[in-house]
Amino acid sequence: MSLKSYINDIWEAVTTTAKGMRITARYGIDVKEEVTIQYPEQRGPVFERFRGFLANDVKTCISCNMCVKICPVDCISLEAVRGADKKMVLVSYDVNIGRCMYCGLCVEVCPPKSLTHTGGFEKSMVARDEMVLHFIHEDAEVIRQRVARQVAEAAAKAAEEAKLAESQPKPAAPAAEPEKK
Amino acid sequence: MEQLTALIIQKVPALAVAPWAVTLLLIGIVAFIILQFAMVFAGFGTYLERKIAADIQGRIGPNRVGPIGLLQFLADGIKLILKEDIIPTAADNHLFRMAPYLIFTGSFAAFVVVPFGFSLIAADLNIGIYYVMAVTSLVSIGVLLAGWASNNKWSMLGGMRAAAQIVSYEIPVGMALIPAVLIAGSLSTQDIIRSQGGLLGIFGWNLFHNPFSFFSFFLYMVAALAETNRTPFDIPEAESELVSGYNTEYSGIRFGFFFMAEYADVFVVSALATACFLGGWQIPFFNAASLPPVWANLLSLGVFMAKALALVCVIIWIRWTLPRLRVDQLMRMSWKYMVPLTFFNFLGVSLWVLVFKGKGIPQMIASIFG
Repeated sequence: MSLKSYINDIWEAVTTTAKGMRITARYGIDVKEEVTIQYPEQRGPVFERFRGFLANDVKTCISCNMCVKICPVDCISLEAVRGADKKMVLVSYDVNIGRCMYCGLCVEVCPPKSLTHTGGFEKSMVARDEMVLHFIHEDAEVIRQRVARQVAEAAAKAAEEAKLAESQPKPAAPAAEPEKK
Repeated sequence: MEQLTALIIQKVPALAVAPWAVTLLLIGIVAFIILQFAMVFAGFGTYLERKIAADIQGRIGPNRVGPIGLLQFLADGIKLILKEDIIPTAADNHLFRMAPYLIFTGSFAAFVVVPFGFSLIAADLNIGIYYVMAVTSLVSIGVLLAGWASNNKWSMLGGMRAAAQIVSYEIPVGMALIPAVLIAGSLSTQDIIRSQGGLLGIFGWNLFHNPFSFFSFFLYMVAALAETNRTPFDIPEAESELVSGYNTEYSGIRFGFFFMAEYADVFVVSALATACFLGGWQIPFFNAASLPPVWANLLSLGVFMAKALALVCVIIWIRWTLPRLRVDQLMRMSWKYMVPLTFFNFLGVSLWVLVFKGKGIPQMIASIFG
């Protein structure tokens, strides 16, 4: 090692250190550089296609069971009964977010687009069974009885109407026929 | 200390029956004050370190505990005290317990000769610099002990590296401090500071005394960084390769001792550099001896702390700038660069003092203009 390269080494060490320290000093003095978001008070943006917790709009849900069938981890459970107007009535719709892996298949497959991902991601709980999100807050049995009653009422009404129609052997029909012509 | 004892006995003659008790009490009080200072500084040092690191890295740093996070160190301390003190079953129990105390004693004992102010010094030893060098060597024993007693490969490697590093860098540290000693003609830290006074202001500092002492200051800072195991030279606790080196197995308050010792060391290094090269407590353009004692002490304490804390900030700034050296690079730097350069400086300063009869360049320029 020659003296020249020795001195060169020292010079290089000093200048590169000075250069590095100048850069860090600039960052240290410049307060605008701060990128930290103070989380509970400040929040970052929630993006449009962020896959947060699932939410089902039970009013538009048609209980088609597509989401239940496609779910790879079986986290959605759905129960429905045939209502008076021949449409399915949801009795219970539960999503176990402890199991859900937020793949989004159920949202893609939903025909009336009633199942959606929300932007929510904050949920802490102390017990496992709190991890199940219930979308129907009424008791399942109550709904079942109500629907059964409605169905029975409708059936009784239909039977009455049928009887009524039978006892009056088509009075309106002949009257209607001329109208048609 | 003896003067103070004599003063107290003079004021309260009833104490004359047991002067040794008064001395003992005074020693206890002084030691307590300095211990408190060291601990508070260690806490404040961690806060400062985290804030400066955050600023450099574009973050915010601690800001939840107390105003702007100032009480963060109290929270950290309480956490460390409340944590379980785990001692591995395979560890050498007695040595494992002893190591943190040795390290803390080593860096705390150096506070004895730190000249905080005009007459604020625990003991103005006439071998001050030599004493610091000797007593901080205890740290290397403690580190080696901690590494060995943990019975853990990482700790062992860390301890060995620390011992090698501290022993290697002790030579440049000592050699870099000698110019100040040569100029002052005394090893006492107070004498060294007194030699840098005068009406020249900051140009009375040893830093500007001659070119050799100017380089000596930078050499001292680099070597002292290595001796305190701070980041560009923190291979003993290189967390990316050795988990955390010699203190891997420590937890709770024993880990806290290592931590406090590190920051106490940083302060001692800054204080020594201030005392030896930056004029210590000398108030620029004032003669501290001519002021009333209370004001002289307060002002000189302020001046000294300002200089020392500025140097602490520089040390932290260096830590968050430079990456860690490799072991061989570290050793090469010590033996091939630092040692020859410090010896060269030592020779240069000796010749300067001999040829120019101890006069510095600013002094010569001043004498030209009368």
